Amino acid sequence: MDLPSITAATEAITGEDVKGAGKAIALGVGAGLGSIGAGIGIGFIFGKEIESVARQPEMKSDLESIRWLGFALTEAVAFYTFIFGLIAFFLS
Amino acid sequence: MKTKTKALIAGGVWMAIIILLLVIFGSEGKNEEFQPQNEFKLHPWLSIHIGSVDLSINRAVFYLVLTAGLTIGTMVWIAKKMQQRPNRTQVAVEMAYELAKNNITRGNMSAEVATRWFPFIGGLFFFILFSNLIGYLPLPTNTGEHFNVFGLEIPTFAIYAATANISIPIVLTLVVWVSYHVEGVRAKGFVPYLKSWLPPGLENMSAIGRGAIFLIEVVSHLVRLVSLSVRLFANMLAGHLLLLFMGGGLAVLLGIAALGALTFPLAFAFFIFEVGLVATLQAFIFSTLSAIYIGGATSAEH
Repeated sequence: MDLPSITAATEAITGEDVKGAGKAIALGVGAGLGSIGAGIGIGFIFGKEIESVARQPEMKSDLESIRWLGFALTEAVAFYTFIFGLIAFFLS
Repeated sequence: MKTKTKALIAGGVWMAIIILLLVIFGSEGKNEEFQPQNEFKLHPWLSIHIGSVDLSINRAVFYLVLTAGLTIGTMVWIAKKMQQRPNRTQVAVEMAYELAKNNITRGNMSAEVATRWFPFIGGLFFFILFSNLIGYLPLPTNTGEHFNVFGLEIPTFAIYAATANISIPIVLTLVVWVSYHVEGVRAKGFVPYLKSWLPPGLENMSAIGRGAIFLIEVVSHLVRLVSLSVRLFANMLAGHLLLLFMGGGLAVLLGIAALGALTFPLAFAFFIFEVGLVATLQAFIFSTLSAIYIGGATSAEH
């Protein structure tokens, strides 16, 4: 194996551009995957709520506050990943 | 003309503007000067250093004082001019008050504890609500940049909120966290309170198993510190970042003028979403969870 090409490859890996790309990937993949989970969760909450109201319409007002509680708790999960992505992007 | 035709024409004009901008200006390449994180930088307006402690007055302090003043001012003003036939403002504030009193506080704890803790929970709700709502009003507070009006240097308009800075939510969370433990110890005594962390139905379990479950409960109580504060902070920060990027930040950053025309209507949609839903919902969630924690620490069963 010729050593100069290995040295060049190592330099490319440790270069600034690659570091920036890694940060961008961290933000994109982190926030993106987090949104998938929260998206499924929010869909589940509203789907189940619609189902319950369809079965028992008289429970509608009781379910309303629980629905928003569940929505906000689930939605926050997306933001946790987003914030950690931002930390990886800007502060590392 | 039918509504559908109007919508089609509006959409067509919008698309035409975007394509026109793309053709005329094209891409100017990536803009290295614009640093989006500087929008959230805190410049000290009035430097106060006591020893190694930095007590400088900056944007976050200004928003904190503004929010506190506005919360107290609004509630006192409404209470002073109560009418038999309420006007719209009074109805709105009364509805929020009812929500905080009956739904958030009384719904999650017993009547006696609710009477004692309603001032705290209600204050928390209104403070966070006002803070979140002020956060979406552009105020001239970004002292890092200036623009000229007839020779007058005015700081750039920017959106910021006290709750979009991690320090404020973490302090609110610490107050809630300490006070629910104190209230639990006061209601039950120290050792019975720690015992009440264990879920019911473990009477036949061995001591080691119960110890393991107790450890999990300890971790869950510590995680509440992070989840309660980061939820509020991250929601506000993400909302502000979204508005920043949609309202032109992305176009400046990438140097594509057409992108600004594309994202600007989205900024309006997100603004309505943030003000209408997220700002109120986060205040509701924070105070509801505080009420649930206090109610859970003091409830006799469980």
